[in-house]
Amino acid sequence: MDATNTPPTLDSENISRRYKSSGRGVSEVSLTAEPGEIVGLVGPNGSGKSTLLRVLSTSIKPDSGSFRVCGFDGLAEKRKVRARLGLMMDRPTHYADLTGHANAYLFARSYGVNEKKTENILAELFEYFDLAEYKDERVKTYSYGMGKKLALIEALAHAPRLLLLDEPSLGLDYTSQLAYQRKVRGMADSGASVLLASNQVDEVEAMCDRVIFLHRGEVIESGTPDELVSSVGGIRRIVASLRVPVEYGAVSEVPGVERISPEGRDLVVHCEERENIVADVVGAVVRSGGDIVNLSVERPNLADVFVKLTGEALARED
Amino acid sequence: MRINPPDAYWKKDVSLFFGKRFALVIKMLYPLAIIGPVAASGIPPEFAAAVVGIVAIMAGTFGAGESLTNDINDGILVRFSLTPTSPYRIVGEILTVNAILDFIQLLPALAVVYLIHTPPLAWMLAATFAVFITLVMANAIGILLANFTSSPADVLLYATIILFPLIYVSGFFRNQNPEGWLAAARDFVPFAYMNDALKEVFGVAGGMSPAEVFVLPAIICAVVAVAVCMTAPRLLSPRL
Repeated sequence: MDATNTPPTLDSENISRRYKSSGRGVSEVSLTAEPGEIVGLVGPNGSGKSTLLRVLSTSIKPDSGSFRVCGFDGLAEKRKVRARLGLMMDRPTHYADLTGHANAYLFARSYGVNEKKTENILAELFEYFDLAEYKDERVKTYSYGMGKKLALIEALAHAPRLLLLDEPSLGLDYTSQLAYQRKVRGMADSGASVLLASNQVDEVEAMCDRVIFLHRGEVIESGTPDELVSSVGGIRRIVASLRVPVEYGAVSEVPGVERISPEGRDLVVHCEERENIVADVVGAVVRSGGDIVNLSVERPNLADVFVKLTGEALARED
Repeated sequence: MRINPPDAYWKKDVSLFFGKRFALVIKMLYPLAIIGPVAASGIPPEFAAAVVGIVAIMAGTFGAGESLTNDINDGILVRFSLTPTSPYRIVGEILTVNAILDFIQLLPALAVVYLIHTPPLAWMLAATFAVFITLVMANAIGILLANFTSSPADVLLYATIILFPLIYVSGFFRNQNPEGWLAAARDFVPFAYMNDALKEVFGVAGGMSPAEVFVLPAIICAVVAVAVCMTAPRLLSPRL
């Protein structure tokens, strides 16, 4: 791929869109997605991810700013832009009284795919996503996860140049998540660009070439996953799985411990990198009465970046 | 021509219409159940015509408005509008296919009326056409209402508020021969032409010719249909 000669699939400049009712939305967001690139959009709930995708999908107009998809103006050439987009919204919607196949067929044909190609590609995708057995059943009998898979099929069937995915793996079983990740990576390898909004930071870290963090509608950081993870320095996570949850006040007094978050029976301790800190944390947990049944020490990941960035953003607001 | 699986929006509606058999039977029977006894009874022709007319108007308005708001609320219509299909075409298809499907529902009942009353062919054709135009107009009102509310219940309420004056002006009730501004307003309401044609079918001669029933309401209806299609970008945008 010669990035110097190939124009970006998506090029947006200073997009702003605020909802009058809530004041939420996005402000001055500029981003690009090169051919073959998977760009992750990460941020807390209400940070503007879905709003940005709505604007880029031509569903709503921005208050200001502009964007181009494959060189076409997203505001003036909507139909040309739409023809190049593959969309998957966070809440899958279908015609409940039509079969899964009929829904996917209607969408593929509406994107201009011919009859024979539609049948072939749908057969392949229904098989790939393990829905072939249910393709002739009405969608109202589908589970939430099956509906999500059908939405993915509808997003992919016309081989879009730009995929806009909003929480695509939410509700998918583990096998289906892997299948979807492989398929999306395959599409990117064949030149499509992907903008993936997700709160599944491990998925974003695994899939994305570049990640953009949004907070209260503004871009607060962007970079490759490696660059972002490096930025959190030596912070590591110690995850202690306990037989029963305990009060963990003593752990927070250990020098170097920055933050503790209980997740069910797991105690997730974010701490600085220093000698003996694992032993000190484990000792504090044991002194607190914790019966450790499993222990893992993890390198910093995108989840730590997420916590750090949102924490810093909140601190700035204070 | 293959309807299922659908490769166009209108085929989706046709597929759904014929796909639910029990609902289809009910849809086909209820106009017959209301209009059949009226046609066979000896009630005054103007009231028999009013019953047929009101069934047509209600079926058209409530059907399109309610199903449209459901699809808008569900998000599926907004999702579909993000395909390269022109939004004007989508709304045009919604309007046309709903009117035709409503017309199919009313055809057996109209056939019963014609069998019992054996009107002249010209009036039979004029009345049939006027009923279809009324259905287009009623569906256009339903679609227009869906622009202003996302609640199917509100559609029913607003439709009632809009339809009753129109029905009144059309001379369905006791104002059979309006004068002054009411007479002028009546000329612009396609329901009035259907009412006149149906009265002819039921045996009351009016002052209108079959040609007038074909031409004037068709022009009015075409203008309204185009106006409704122009609301497509608003209608198909997400309700935020």
